Amino acid sequence: MDPTLQEIYSLVLKQWPLVAGAYSILWVALIVYIGMIMARLGRLEKEIQVLSEAVERRG
Amino acid sequence: MKNRVTGVLLVLGGVLTTVSFIVAFFVAGVPDFGTVTVANEVQTERSLIEIAAEGFKYGRPDWGQKIFYFHVPVALSSFLVFIFTAYYGARFLLSKNREFDTKARIATEVTLVFVVLTMITGVLWTKAAWDVWWEWEPRLTTYFIMTLLVIAYFVLRNSIDDEERRATYAAAFGILAFVDAPISFAITRLIPSTHPVIERGGLETPMLLSFLCGLFGMLMIGYAVYQVRVREEMLKERLESLKASLEG
Amino acid sequence: MAVTGGTSGRAMSWRQFRAILRKDIVMELRTKEMVTSMGLYALLTMVIYQVALSQSGTAFDPRLIAAGLLWLAFVFTSMLGLNRSLVHEKDQGCLEALLLSPVDRPVIFFAKATGNFIFLLIVEVLTIPVFGFLFLQGRGFGGQFWMIPAVLTAASLGIAGVGTLLATMSVNTTGKDFVLAVLFIPLMYPLLLAAVSATTAAVLGGPDAAAGFWAGMRMIGAYDAIMLLVAYGLYEFIIGA
Repeated sequence: MDPTLQEIYSLVLKQWPLVAGAYSILWVALIVYIGMIMARLGRLEKEIQVLSEAVERRG
Repeated sequence: MKNRVTGVLLVLGGVLTTVSFIVAFFVAGVPDFGTVTVANEVQTERSLIEIAAEGFKYGRPDWGQKIFYFHVPVALSSFLVFIFTAYYGARFLLSKNREFDTKARIATEVTLVFVVLTMITGVLWTKAAWDVWWEWEPRLTTYFIMTLLVIAYFVLRNSIDDEERRATYAAAFGILAFVDAPISFAITRLIPSTHPVIERGGLETPMLLSFLCGLFGMLMIGYAVYQVRVREEMLKERLESLKASLEG
Repeated sequence: MAVTGGTSGRAMSWRQFRAILRKDIVMELRTKEMVTSMGLYALLTMVIYQVALSQSGTAFDPRLIAAGLLWLAFVFTSMLGLNRSLVHEKDQGCLEALLLSPVDRPVIFFAKATGNFIFLLIVEVLTIPVFGFLFLQGRGFGGQFWMIPAVLTAASLGIAGVGTLLATMSVNTTGKDFVLAVLFIPLMYPLLLAAVSATTAAVLGGPDAAAGFWAGMRMIGAYDAIMLLVAYGLYEFIIGA
């Protein structure tokens, strides 16, 4: 890059890994968190289904 | 019915935040942060600010400002979810209904997630804008205190075994913390100190659009996550009661 | 409200308040436990301050951080005092006895908070000359002297009030003073910030001193008014649990 342009865009060159890092951490964290919750929810629902059928068979 | 609303909100939140992301990076302009003086004039979409004594003055584009499109929505959402902590805490104190305590706890949990994300993006933004990882400026300081308050909430909860006492104390502390956070914010701003207060100017339309999309998207995600967690707790309870009736 | 015959409810509450407060003060006068332990703790903190400042050189003006050091000492000393005052109540079964008697809960709050406030103030008043003697030799006060007691009183009100509520909670946990610290320090942060700002203005003096001082005092006042009100409202629920 032209050295003068490099000077003008100096801030951008320093910043883009930080910006990329911030956004990726945010996305990953939210997706992982929501994903974990949904997985737990799915497991819970299955267990409840199994158990409620067992209760019905009993009763 | 509530499940469908929650699902819709979650998807809508995701869509909105993605829209915000796209607008932020591909449509909105890049603001300037200070100026830089160079020896030669160059061909760039940056406009020449003035012909300075030693050379040519250009505005310095601030790419780090992009972080703001998500950082502020997460921060605001965290505080709004915190309102639920105080609200359900108060309702618990008045009714002693365990359900409110559960809701308050989950709201605080979601607050914790959002506050931690706020801190991480805030630190990265500070590094991008001011080239230091940390600065004791009002907003960062207040968020640090909020992080400590939310952690304190969970420390308190974990240190009490009796259920009703735990719920009562947690509710009281939640209310205290919720009142303390804005006071903290106000006082850190008003104390005369040597640190700069990072001001934010007005926003042009595409920036504003991105910001608002991000804000509403985050709020929806926050609310949807809260509802999903509440549902999880209720299912857990149903599971326990089913197990108990099987053993009975 | 207890059946009082001819006495009005207000007078009854005042008598109860005085009785509980008197109990705390008399116990303190007899054992001198609180003030001595808090005072010694503050003194020991001063020793650590000397170590902390030992490398700062003679050109360093300790008046710049004097307010900060003082309030640091006061915060930790007050946590010690708060914890002890409530642990006493719990160990002796005083609290349960109080709850069984027909005393209004808010009265208990005010009485205990006032007791803590008085002890804290005593320790502060004793610590400041010691601090001045140890660290401020040869340097005068820049500002006006009456400002310092004003800040002490105002900020200690907030510390004692909110601290009493938090200590009542923390004494019933399995972490006791650790939990108190975790709850206390973040909540106290804005109050401390304002107090140090006002105290620094008082210590350093200069043209902006009055403005800085009053700005700090206003913030302390706002904090006290809001947080004490909330603490007062919450106390009834806490002490019942």
